[in-house]
Amino acid sequence: MTRTRRDPRSEREARSVGGRHRPRFDLGLAVGASRRPRRDPRAERRGFEVFAAPRLRLDRTQTLAPIPAGPGDAPSRRSEAAAPAVRVVAAPAYLVFAVLEAAKGRLSRLDRQVLGAARLLADAGEGGGAVVGIAPAGIVDLGACGADRVLAMTGDGEMSAPARAARIRAMVEALAPRHVIFAEDGEGADLARRIAVSLRETILTDLVSLSARQAVRARDGNRTEMFGAPPRFITIGEDRVAAYGGVPCEARALDGDFNAGRSADPAILSIEPVAGDPSALSLSETDFVVSAGNGVTDIEAFKALAAALSGTPGASRVVCDAGLMPRSAQVGASGTVLAADCYLALGIAGAPQHLQGIAACEHVIAVNTDLHAKMVERAGLAIVADAQAVMPALKALVDERKRRAR
Amino acid sequence: MNILICLSAARHPVSDRPALSRLEAQAIGLATRLDGRVTGLHAGPDGEAVREALGVGLSLVDHLAIGGGVDPLEALSARLRAEAPDLILAGRRGQGGEDSGLVPYCLAEALDLPLIADAVAIETGPRPGTIRVDQALKKGDRRRITVKLPAIVTVHPLAPAPAPFVFAAARRGTIRTLPVLERHDRQDAHPGWNERPYRARPKLMRTAATPAGDPAGKLHVDPAPEEAARLILDYLEKNGIRTF
Ligand SMILES: Cc1cc2nc3c(=O)[nH]c(=O)nc-3n(C[C@H](O)[C@H](O)[C@H](O)COP(=O)(O)OP(=O)(O)OC[C@H]3O[C@@H](n4cnc5c(N)ncnc54)[C@H](O)[C@@H]3O)c2cc1C
Ligand SMILES: Nc1ncnc2c1ncn2[C@@H]1O[C@H](COP(=O)(O)O)[C@@H](O)[C@H]1O
Repeated sequence: MTRTRRDPRSEREARSVGGRHRPRFDLGLAVGASRRPRRDPRAERRGFEVFAAPRLRLDRTQTLAPIPAGPGDAPSRRSEAAAPAVRVVAAPAYLVFAVLEAAKGRLSRLDRQVLGAARLLADAGEGGGAVVGIAPAGIVDLGACGADRVLAMTGDGEMSAPARAARIRAMVEALAPRHVIFAEDGEGADLARRIAVSLRETILTDLVSLSARQAVRARDGNRTEMFGAPPRFITIGEDRVAAYGGVPCEARALDGDFNAGRSADPAILSIEPVAGDPSALSLSETDFVVSAGNGVTDIEAFKALAAALSGTPGASRVVCDAGLMPRSAQVGASGTVLAADCYLALGIAGAPQHLQGIAACEHVIAVNTDLHAKMVERAGLAIVADAQAVMPALKALVDERKRRAR
Repeated sequence: MNILICLSAARHPVSDRPALSRLEAQAIGLATRLDGRVTGLHAGPDGEAVREALGVGLSLVDHLAIGGGVDPLEALSARLRAEAPDLILAGRRGQGGEDSGLVPYCLAEALDLPLIADAVAIETGPRPGTIRVDQALKKGDRRRITVKLPAIVTVHPLAPAPAPFVFAAARRGTIRTLPVLERHDRQDAHPGWNERPYRARPKLMRTAATPAGDPAGKLHVDPAPEEAARLILDYLEKNGIRTF
């Protein structure tokens, strides 16, 4: 109620400089404020705010307190929350395990969502739980993704699934977590079932919805769903629980020797990893796509480059329509929707139908002659240059580095 | 080699009619590529539910008659213990039922057999009595595991496509119903869990991610091709995509 209200009529009156034939005004003249007060809803709302509460609370029964002169005077909730700090759970009331696969030393999207689900259950109710991330050694951003503690699975690569399951089972038995969360994908799904079956506990697989109070899974071909309180063993599907986006957590390394059950299964005689050949992979499966658009005229150079970078070749619709690349290589709404980590777009404008296909890609590199192309806007690294010149240079550099490494 | 395929009474995801699960059809395909006797095994109220499996490569299915809604584990493990097959194949998930993929794991636990998950190829191993299984991992990687028989192997969707369905073969094949001796009608595997009609829930949106990396190093206008190549490789290396 402090801001005064402009009153155009009285302002006009005050500015008039009595002309003889027609009205004349001096608009430069500063005029005093009008008498009519004006409501200021924002200031009123600020007056209702109860500042002790951690989140916004309004007490509308409050008689209007004197309104502080400027917004800076009010104790702002925002400035309190913005203090960048590390969140520390010193003495956890209980533990929640998040078992992460972190293939190739990086947390995947689903891994981050697993940590997000663990964080959700650790903060449930009165809170005070701690998230323990179980991951291969050397993952850096566990804290930012919500892990309070970290248990490293060292020497994980050469272990067989039963040995790994035995090790996580030893951790579960030693630390007695309230929940253990796995990804319903790849190794996580396998480990979860092995551990739950060997401990004879119920496990809820492939959750479609998880909150602190209720977990839901579909069954009977999506005709019925089961629900109940979150059980101890849970696997979650992709894009069902949001990743953690709050203040970074501590990610303190826990030590402890959990190699008790490391005895390898005698029936498994040998395990050898076979690296996938990206050029033979389908687009939906690969992690790195090298893609050509209408700006690429030298398709042979493009194919050679994709092979040299060991990426899966892709293309925009224009290129597939022209018959330069097979239809199976088309990326986008009417082609393949990628799950890759990285996308190298050579001469692609970035039509909406194309961008839909790469929405899940974390890293995008664009090479385009047009500075204003949508793909340049989307990219994490944008090179405004002729693709025909960049492709051979890139291939030459890769070949040279490979030669030097040998 | 005596190979047994576990067949569930799957339902088609769209029509909800009884249909052979694709994973189990793929399992039959993997098994017929090995030389051995391949039989199906189904535990459930109706043996005819798995007749379709006879059309994609099986000639005999053993049916263990148990009541509807009864946990098939008891009957299956008793039968497997008696039969003692060399290799047991199952789908990695069921289709149209519980769909938790727990049956093979429970069988492995009950029979104390090694379990290899997510197979895309199976061949005979270097020594007799062994097999070599290619296991599908993420991003196209594979793991080749040599395992001593007997073992349980679950099949991944990336395994070779199943053989085409042959109607005459499905009519010709036999479904042999076997009596089940013990009967523990253990119902309700999930006490404390309630059921209700399914409601589809939206998945999290995969919106265009904000470009990673610092904005200053993001845009490069007209660099020399060699400089551009270096920038791209450095970016790939920094984000752990490829290192050369
Ligand atoms: C219903 C529908 C569905 C569709 N689905 C898809 C889909 O699934 N996938 C898909 O890709 N498209 C799809 N499209 C087509 C889409 O709208 C675009 O037409 C298409 O993606 C454009 O392809 P482009 O970027 O390669 O070609 P253009 O739009 O021609 O862009 C070429 C780009 O290359 C750049 N360029 C030119 N010369 C060079 C050079 N020498 N060096 C570097 N850069 C250069 C240009 O600046 C330009 O930005 C669909 C369209 C419709 C209507
Ligand atoms: N009643 C059953 N009889 C035989 N095999 C079964 C039965 N139920 C499940 N299976 C096997 O177990 C796999 C996983 O099923 P589920 O655990 O129901 O997801 C299936 O693909 C089948 O191979």
